[in-house]
Amino acid sequence: MKINLGILASRIRLEEKLLIKEARKRSNIDLRVVDPRKITWEESNLQELDVLLDREISQSRAYHVMELMSRTGVKLVNDFETVQLCGDKAFTSVKLKKHEIPTPDFRVAFDSESALKAVEDIGYPAVLKPVDGSWGRMVAKVGNRESAEATIEHKANLDSHYHSIFYVQEFVETGNKDIRAFVLGDEVVGAAYRESDHWITNAARGGESSPYPLTDELRDIVGATSRVFGGGALAVDLLESDRGLLINEINCSMEFKESMKAIDEDIPARLLDYTIGQAEASEEVAHNKCLV
Amino acid sequence: MSSLNLGLLFSRIRVEEKMLIKEARSRGHEITRVDSRELVFDFEDDYDIDILLERDVSHSRALYILNLFENGDVPTINTYRTARICGDKIATTKALRDAGVPTPEVKVAFTKDSALSAIEEMGYPVVLKPVTGSWGRLLAKLNDRESAEAVLEHKSQLGSYYHKIFYIQEYVDKPNRDIRAFVVGGETIAAIYRESEHWITNTAQGGEATNCPVTDEIEEICGSASEAVGGGILAVDLLEGKDGLTVAEVNYTVEFKNSVEPTGVDIPGKIIDYVENVAGGDKQ
Repeated sequence: MKINLGILASRIRLEEKLLIKEARKRSNIDLRVVDPRKITWEESNLQELDVLLDREISQSRAYHVMELMSRTGVKLVNDFETVQLCGDKAFTSVKLKKHEIPTPDFRVAFDSESALKAVEDIGYPAVLKPVDGSWGRMVAKVGNRESAEATIEHKANLDSHYHSIFYVQEFVETGNKDIRAFVLGDEVVGAAYRESDHWITNAARGGESSPYPLTDELRDIVGATSRVFGGGALAVDLLESDRGLLINEINCSMEFKESMKAIDEDIPARLLDYTIGQAEASEEVAHNKCLV
Repeated sequence: MSSLNLGLLFSRIRVEEKMLIKEARSRGHEITRVDSRELVFDFEDDYDIDILLERDVSHSRALYILNLFENGDVPTINTYRTARICGDKIATTKALRDAGVPTPEVKVAFTKDSALSAIEEMGYPVVLKPVTGSWGRLLAKLNDRESAEAVLEHKSQLGSYYHKIFYIQEYVDKPNRDIRAFVVGGETIAAIYRESEHWITNTAQGGEATNCPVTDEIEEICGSASEAVGGGILAVDLLEGKDGLTVAEVNYTVEFKNSVEPTGVDIPGKIIDYVENVAGGDKQ
């Protein structure tokens, strides 16, 4: 059986190149690259796909396309519910806290004055993050009241209404490194340290990778997180603290070119295996339903 | 009904909030004011309220706070799901379509070039709307290619990335009015015509309200629209096209001050009835 695979992407980064190359090697895949800039909804031939893998760099485009494609019978990687949760740091933290998964302390406020209270409540240094950002952009570590006041005022004057939501997180001292773990469904595929000269360790900011072992602690916490977030293909960022591992962020449509250097697994091949497996599983369900 | 501790989420007390507070107090309920501008959510505070009624003018605040309270196991009106769907026109259209509720034709595009092709395909005039927005702000009726090009270019230069998502709606050639129906717990309790010489009929833009009798057709389409977006307290905007009614928008933080008098319906009373029902365990 041939699988009609759509890859949603407006920019072909190294990750997408690897995925496309891998998909073309496989005789059971019919590949279509779906550029959201070139389609308008509702485009009927998207319904012909068996599965759509979200690799879109723009989070807002991905969000709307995945919502529009939900409940159409096309399997999505990831489900829209997962996209919604992972795309927002406040919703992510709330979900983790509710399910008692260890995560840094946080506050959410909605006005400059209450945001300052939230920062003082967390204590210095604190971290201010946009609820919907990526690549470490506009992530601010504030060490004292003056810098908190200045950062909050600037943020409040930014255009997007998302900047009127103040997400404040406890700063966890990790020596400028964190861990990125890759999970596909219920399997933790690999993990790597990201280390940097700067406290922001994102690969996009120059963080470099080295291997991290798949310990029981890591498998347990990442596995629990994946279950709460509805499974799927996720990159989970963790911090090592004196309270053990903490979940920092969860990413859909993850970048992996930097982590690949330190993980002894073919991540694009595994991601495709998982995506095709999802399509086949939902075909089987549909087939069985017909038989009944 | 035993007395409730009713949390009122707001950032500005308008006439509507005053009416709701007065109504709730007259029934012996206690009001806890939750001012979104002062709120610091840390999950440790015990909000000793039975239910949260959301009346915030800011959609983004309302959305986050509903999610936080819901995760803190406090029932909310409306639910986060309803607020998310109604606050996002793409999500509203998707939910209404999936439920088979008649809506105007809609296209969604993600660049100004593909938006222009979508508009030309739909044919002029069309209406361009921000995905998130209220009170008729930044609605644009585009009558020809020149105006489409001009507005798309300006829109794409606006700061928020929300303006880089293009929601294009068919212009429904309607009488100089639309219908706003108030739906509470699935039941259409009242409706008004909003009449204006301008094609934007929002009362915030000067539209005038007169009573609109709730016909079976209105009752039916509003009931399905309410169910499609997750129910609650809603204002459904209807357009009278030549093929019957269509749902243009569904609002979840309902403004009603100009509608009580023309309809003769005690809207705040109906809202507090519903709050009591939900707090008393009725399914939303």
